[in-house]
Amino acid sequence: MTVPRAQPAIKASRIGVSYRAYLDRASTFRRVVARRRLRQTTTVVALDDVSFEVEWGETMGLVGDNGAGKSTLLRVIARTMRPDAGSVTVNGETSTLLQLGAGFNHELSGRRNVYLSGLAHGLARVEVSRLFDDIVAYAELGEAIDRPIKSYSSGMVSRLAFSISIHLLPDILLLDEVLAVGDAGFRKKSQAAMRELLGQGGAVMVASHVLSGMAEMCDRVLWLERGRIRDLGPAETVIEAYGRASPSVPR
Amino acid sequence: MGRFSRSFPGAPCRDAGRIVESTGVATVTADQVPSLTGWRNYVRNLWRWREFGWFLAMGNLKARNASTSLGLVWWMLNPLIMAAVYFLVFGLILGGRRGEPQFIAWLLSGVFAFNYTATAMTSGANSILSNSRLLVNIRFPRLILPISAVIETGVGFLMSIAVYYLIVWPADGVSPGITLLWLPVAAALHTVFNLGLAGWTARLAIPFRDINNLIPHLTRLWLYLSPIIWPLTFLQDRGGPVEDLAVLNPMYGILSFYRMALMGRDLDTAAFVLAILWTLVIGVGGILSFVRHEGNMVRHL
Repeated sequence: MTVPRAQPAIKASRIGVSYRAYLDRASTFRRVVARRRLRQTTTVVALDDVSFEVEWGETMGLVGDNGAGKSTLLRVIARTMRPDAGSVTVNGETSTLLQLGAGFNHELSGRRNVYLSGLAHGLARVEVSRLFDDIVAYAELGEAIDRPIKSYSSGMVSRLAFSISIHLLPDILLLDEVLAVGDAGFRKKSQAAMRELLGQGGAVMVASHVLSGMAEMCDRVLWLERGRIRDLGPAETVIEAYGRASPSVPR
Repeated sequence: MGRFSRSFPGAPCRDAGRIVESTGVATVTADQVPSLTGWRNYVRNLWRWREFGWFLAMGNLKARNASTSLGLVWWMLNPLIMAAVYFLVFGLILGGRRGEPQFIAWLLSGVFAFNYTATAMTSGANSILSNSRLLVNIRFPRLILPISAVIETGVGFLMSIAVYYLIVWPADGVSPGITLLWLPVAAALHTVFNLGLAGWTARLAIPFRDINNLIPHLTRLWLYLSPIIWPLTFLQDRGGPVEDLAVLNPMYGILSFYRMALMGRDLDTAAFVLAILWTLVIGVGGILSFVRHEGNMVRHL
């Protein structure tokens, strides 16, 4: 057993992330003369003092308005981004499905993208070849696997992306805005796959600003608001509170 | 769990002076600094991701000319046309061949080798930006991207070396000799140098996209300052501090090494020792600097 089960799957303590963004204000002569730097920048705080734990066997939901820091938080947990403050301990192999088919090269065929994703996750070529048929069958792509991704419908892209992620047999699966797409049949199938992963003791973190299905899928939900934790608790309670606070959110 | 038994990828990290990612447990903190044991981890991870780098390089090589009607022929045709243009301008029109009996062999060895460096800088700068989707979503040792870019360019360079003898054998009577055994050594040294340069451009191009505008001008200036389109006698006639300063150019030693291997010329030992020093400073320094900063790359994409 490589993963010490006494530890939580994910332990985030006091994470902070801020970006520097360029200001694109209209240049007046006075501003050009007055400013010292070549371009003005502003600091955007994406995450501020975020602490939580995800237990094994648990599905943690992540809700919040656009720009609340959901994607940034998933990137920090996927460890593609280093936080400015705090630390994240991830006790397992993560497989990420951040956004719809992000990471795919849309000019290349589905086949080459399967290899690209698998190899980028650190698999050897023979390992990808061994998984390949299962990935295509699960994604229900058939002959389309040899067409470029740009010719795929959004449902096909998300099916392929989900299929790759789940076949990499992660300990922890991270999903970002992917469950709103795909037809009802595939959603049922993907949820069954996630339950299987959880049954084997894995953990799932799923971010969405579409609330439908989140309450059934998640055990607990973390509500982010402008980079800070607004609420963290049982799925139904938090989702209801979030829905009340943001009436415009699709549910 | 334990479905995955392999260790964790990515930047080595130190947590209270101790590596915490050997057993599939990884902590990422705000102030992680690569440590020595971390470097060993990093190299091991590079090796694990080697097929990814190779796959990217070969995919790009094939894709580059996939939609052209001549396809792979372009890999031979490009260096040939480049050679013809340089010979027309610098050999015939500007009369650069004075003082160099084997001017075509001199010119092309310089042009092809220099082109490897120039292209490595450009594609290194693009390697991170053009794969930003992968970087944001998947964790892997980032250095694999500039490595892959340099491999891709290096394969093109090797093809141009094959073309080299097709031209210079009939034109200047330069044939492959026993010194050609030095070619792999020269190419290896040159590749480390180029990888470092690609590491610098890749790392700098992320926060400062302006670099992409500067690189073509820098490489052109560098080309003119290197003994490629002019023979060594050009500077020797001049003498003095200009000649002494010119030898500081890392291309001096690298090109001298190539010309020993390809043309059987004498090696300029002083320039060669300098080139090795440059490879350590720029080459190894660029690689280390890249890895040191790779944790912050996604933030700027």
